[in-house]
Amino acid sequence: MTRRTYLIKRVLQAVFSLWIIATILFFLFRMGLPDPTAALITEGLNAEQRAAVRAQFGLEDPLWRQYLLFLTNAVQGEFGTSFSYRAPVSEIVWERLGNTMILMLAAIVLAYAIGVPLGAWLSWRRGSRTDTMGIFVGLMFRSAPMFWTGMIAILIFGVGLSIFPTSGMRTLPYDATGFWDKIFTLDFLWHAILPVLIVALYYLGSPMLIMRNTMLEVYGEDFIEMARAKGLQERDILYKHAARNALLPVVTQLAVTIGLAAGGQVVVEVVFSWPGLGREILNAVRTSDFPLAQASFLIMAAFVISLNLLVDILYTTLDPRVSFR
Amino acid sequence: MTLPPILRAAMGPLRLMVQDRLAVIGMCVLGVIIAMALFAPLLSPHDPRHINEIEDGSVLARNAAGWELRESLGPLALNDATHRDGQSIIVGRSGTVWTRAGTGDWARIDVATEADLNGVDLNASGRAIVVGAQGTILLGNDLDWQLIPAPEAVLRDAVWLDNDRALIVGANEEIWLLDATAGTFAEIDSPVGRGFPLNSVALDADGTALIVGERGLAIRYDLEAGTATLERIGSSRDLNHIHIAPDGAALVVGERGTLVRRDGADGAWVTDPAPDTRALRAGWIGDNGRAVAAGRNGIIMEWDGAAWQIVQTESERHLRALLVVGDDWLALGSDRFVTRLSPPSRDHWFGTDHLGRDLFSQNVHGSQIALLVGFLGATLVVLIGTNVGLIAGYYRGRTETILMRTVDVMYGIPFEPFALILVLLFQPSLTIVILAVSLLTWRTVARLIRSQVLSLRERPFVKAARVAGASDLRIMYLHIFPNVLPLVFLELAIIVGVSIIAEATLSFLGLGPPQSISWGGILHDARLSGAWRTAWWWNLPPGILIMTTVLSVFFISRSLEVVANPRLRARQ
Repeated sequence: MTRRTYLIKRVLQAVFSLWIIATILFFLFRMGLPDPTAALITEGLNAEQRAAVRAQFGLEDPLWRQYLLFLTNAVQGEFGTSFSYRAPVSEIVWERLGNTMILMLAAIVLAYAIGVPLGAWLSWRRGSRTDTMGIFVGLMFRSAPMFWTGMIAILIFGVGLSIFPTSGMRTLPYDATGFWDKIFTLDFLWHAILPVLIVALYYLGSPMLIMRNTMLEVYGEDFIEMARAKGLQERDILYKHAARNALLPVVTQLAVTIGLAAGGQVVVEVVFSWPGLGREILNAVRTSDFPLAQASFLIMAAFVISLNLLVDILYTTLDPRVSFR
Repeated sequence: MTLPPILRAAMGPLRLMVQDRLAVIGMCVLGVIIAMALFAPLLSPHDPRHINEIEDGSVLARNAAGWELRESLGPLALNDATHRDGQSIIVGRSGTVWTRAGTGDWARIDVATEADLNGVDLNASGRAIVVGAQGTILLGNDLDWQLIPAPEAVLRDAVWLDNDRALIVGANEEIWLLDATAGTFAEIDSPVGRGFPLNSVALDADGTALIVGERGLAIRYDLEAGTATLERIGSSRDLNHIHIAPDGAALVVGERGTLVRRDGADGAWVTDPAPDTRALRAGWIGDNGRAVAAGRNGIIMEWDGAAWQIVQTESERHLRALLVVGDDWLALGSDRFVTRLSPPSRDHWFGTDHLGRDLFSQNVHGSQIALLVGFLGATLVVLIGTNVGLIAGYYRGRTETILMRTVDVMYGIPFEPFALILVLLFQPSLTIVILAVSLLTWRTVARLIRSQVLSLRERPFVKAARVAGASDLRIMYLHIFPNVLPLVFLELAIIVGVSIIAEATLSFLGLGPPQSISWGGILHDARLSGAWRTAWWWNLPPGILIMTTVLSVFFISRSLEVVANPRLRARQ
């Protein structure tokens, strides 16, 4: 199989996955919420306005027509109007997705930047007390629920020492004309430190442990013996020879993690009042804002799938040993 | 020693696990938590849903900053207090009497009764009258107390009319005139006579006594004339307490924040607007225009000359009496009150939450849901994942394509948001929570098992079985499956941990099984109540428990990894 056919096949697979997910989503919502506009009664809409909303989503039509309408709308990026925001859903969702991604990517990069060298170092000190401690701490943060570590972090650094703000992305009120305008400020950095740290600590364990384990395998290889025989320093052997060859499984794990990053960490967003997509889904479903919930989920899934695809393609470029199966 | 082959086969991995110290610790901790879940009702000292109340002889003192809780006077509620010529006396439930001279320490006095004491008054010669339930009437001073025989009645309050005679009122509209020297009563006819409870009595500036009771009832008793007449003070609410200053300023307090004030002996009764509508149980007014009222749920209001201001509400204690001696102002209570947000104590090891429920019992019971969802969810996940992996890996071809494409699709679904939508669309219940936890997680297991099966199916023993005529099912489940079993157990352990966190997450977001107690749910309550910023005893234990449980499972899984992957063994 050539590279080109592989790429085409992979893209088609991604589109197919997205279609299946959209279909599942559609039927799940129709099963769970037979009349989504029922929530609008509490919003104070009269029967006429409700009928207009029903027409917009084609709720009077037979199920298969509704389904087709849903698919065409989704392809055109037309997701209707949010019940609670009274604004086009797509605008809200894209902004929230950006907020989620910046949090998740920063945390993942941080986790891997610390975890990989730490894992290599632990493998070097294998069997020592440091090694045991390192494994213990890594697994501990992996086992602690993030909403709890987040709450404790807020208590200590936000409420107790009042070093960091406890919620939101920026101090209110602020004016920013665009997404990047909002991000590139010290104030944003200040707000981001705690949530990024909490997510990073959670992710830290897996690159660290994977790195440590593969390093241990690499130590048994002949070229390490060779390096030792040449009289190289232990430190050089560790970082220049062993670590490079142990990176592959870590990169695989990184790919999977980034692939799922768009799913975000709903609880961290909730605890830190981070205006991300996960928190938006939670709010949307709580307020029965079905256009928003449906679109948020679909766009999130689309992003997860595209990231997976992107990472897969990059991966085949990085590691020639991976055959185009 | 001869063991059956199956047991002998199991011994090897078990020995490997026992060699790993962390795994042994993990197994011990998990054992403790499983025991906790099994014996939860036995282990928890309280019902986790029960709203706990306690009684306490609470004393609040006023200082520059406000009203502050002082050391309690015993475990029994304090009902009334009075003060005259440097001598103070407090009475309370179950025959409680405390006295002090000046502003010294309170001393408990033994009196020959266990009845609840409701009212107290002192006369000019320092003699006290104490009345209470079961027709209890006590006369005395410091050490010499004497019980006056009286008919059965719930007596609420008493006041000295002169050095010798006292007026006693009761819950069944009793008005008794007591001659202290002779020890005899005269029953006074009430002008109403319908059995209304009379709650409080005070001596007015002109020497008559003013009695207040339920439904705004006010009766004036004139000793000279010997008559009781109705008085209008302009309220129809239940009146609980009356206080009259020596020069005639008076304050009557009652239910639903009733405050009726009279500025001087000749003034008119005025009903003041109250800043709170909870029941007021005690009032005090001075001739210099200062006044204070106290009531249920620790409410204290002060008169600032123009209006009543709330000065204290944070205490949950019910205040029943006020004692004002110069600048020393005390508010006394407290009958049974809900022990909200109390820090860890001997009775409540992990403190209580905002509804006064015992947090230790909640944490103990929380282990049940965590382990139930953890193990049930993980079993379901491993069951689905292993079978899909086995079938896909063994049959290859179209079956594999379909199954593995399904797995690929599932990798496109973000886990947490999907669980949220599922739970919210189909109402939270235990089944939905377990489904939400397990519906997506099997994707990893399926992939792992499949890749293992792919290599196993090419091995000679599988070919031999096929040649011997074994059916596909037999090869899959009797020949290949035992070889992936270590991997299955490893995945089971990891997913137990993942499921426990997932359940805690859903419960934390308020989407857990309703009416159930879980660790995530405790943290949800803490966050929702807003008290989590101060009540550390509420936040810490559930998180630590989740972490310990999941950590112990991870430790066990690490040693299973050694069993599943022999390459790891060599470098230990």
